[in-house]
Amino acid sequence: MKKTIVALLLLALAAAPALGAEKRWVVSEGTALKAEQSVTAASVAELPVGAELTVVEGAGRWLKVRSANGKEGWVYAGRVSDTAPVAEVGGGDGLFGDSTQKSQINTAKADSARSIRGLSPEVAQYAKQRGTPESLKKELDKILSRKVSDKELRTFLKEGKIGEYAQ
Amino acid sequence: MKSLTMTMLLALACLFSTEAHAGWQDKLQNLMNPESKEGKILSGATQVVSSSQEMTYATERTVGQSLALESMQRFGKPVPNEALQKYVNLVGNAVARNSRRSTIPYQFVVLDSPVRNAFAAPGGMIFVSRGLLDVVENEAELAAVLAHEVGHVAEKHALKSIRRAQFLQGVGTISAATMKGSEGKKFESMIGDLQSTLFDKGLDQGMEYEADLAALETTYRTGYDPAAMITVLQKLKKLEASDSGKGSWFSTHPPLDERIARLSSRLEKYPDHVSLAKVPARFAKTVKTTKKQK
Repeated sequence: MKKTIVALLLLALAAAPALGAEKRWVVSEGTALKAEQSVTAASVAELPVGAELTVVEGAGRWLKVRSANGKEGWVYAGRVSDTAPVAEVGGGDGLFGDSTQKSQINTAKADSARSIRGLSPEVAQYAKQRGTPESLKKELDKILSRKVSDKELRTFLKEGKIGEYAQ
Repeated sequence: MKSLTMTMLLALACLFSTEAHAGWQDKLQNLMNPESKEGKILSGATQVVSSSQEMTYATERTVGQSLALESMQRFGKPVPNEALQKYVNLVGNAVARNSRRSTIPYQFVVLDSPVRNAFAAPGGMIFVSRGLLDVVENEAELAAVLAHEVGHVAEKHALKSIRRAQFLQGVGTISAATMKGSEGKKFESMIGDLQSTLFDKGLDQGMEYEADLAALETTYRTGYDPAAMITVLQKLKKLEASDSGKGSWFSTHPPLDERIARLSSRLEKYPDHVSLAKVPARFAKTVKTTKKQK
């Protein structure tokens, strides 16, 4: 009896490492797999949002990871999460529609290109029905036209010595 | 007793054995396939989950923009200072791009209102009042406030709160043409519900705590000291007694003491937080200068 229990426990323990491989998901836009633990190191690969990674080693601010296609490199810990990012719902797909996460994200990008053109026809019609003052419509247009490019953001973080740019 | 122990051990072994794990994973995979038995069961179960999960991003954005027009009616126009608006957009986008929903565009707006408040319209438009900005003392604190609001957008809290709205019981999409008809009426009524939730009643307390924890995680991931979320709430706490409260973070959010306590206990997850950025100088240069000009 005791032997059976020990055997079962051993079996459980042996199986544990298979489950123990730590997973992370890319959550940040513009994430790259780096050759070394530095923002200035060469990029091994670009990692799209939602990409699943296996942690090879590391704790703290830089993690050595392996991507799904077997590439290894370092990623800044702030760019990944232990939970998958929120998937976008595009077209008529529901939460359990057959779109892959990637195509849902692409849909969001297509939609965002549309949204940054200013007030949408739907909102313009809403404003008309509500009798919204013209000045507020102009303010909303101005808000929607304000964009932050990846380059601007990198410069901003670098100047503030924030995240990957901290010294 | 022995047989009970054996059963438990067997169950454990099954749970941990790789083969059984694979079978369990298959079942989980099947859940995602709407044609499978498991998928059909889940599909029935998820129909009772909020319709907001099925709203397309384009419609969510229309909801957000319509609400933005109403919020400017209520709280005033954006502060006419382009440098300030740009700065708040940079800080906001820095955290948003490290949030759980990083692929949609976000806009951040400082409204010219003395009421200390911040709120998020669905789809990624986030508002913070001049009054709340006056309380904030460094960039990390601003990042924390904005990351809290990004958390609401990411988890679609506002939409989940109004899931019983008639509009969401129907087709749940809107075009310029259907806006003119009965769908438009339902849409307008839903925007009214959202205003009442966000500006008067407030979201569920659980959603606020969730957004607070999201703010800690997102600011930390970006590289700002997450303790800033706590310090900004402590400052608001000091002002609570003298604030009339109406429409502010005091009236629409859970008690500050409870929020501070929950955040403080979660801060242990980030042992190196003190070494992260606070950036008081750049904040002072951009925001405090603006205050003097006013």
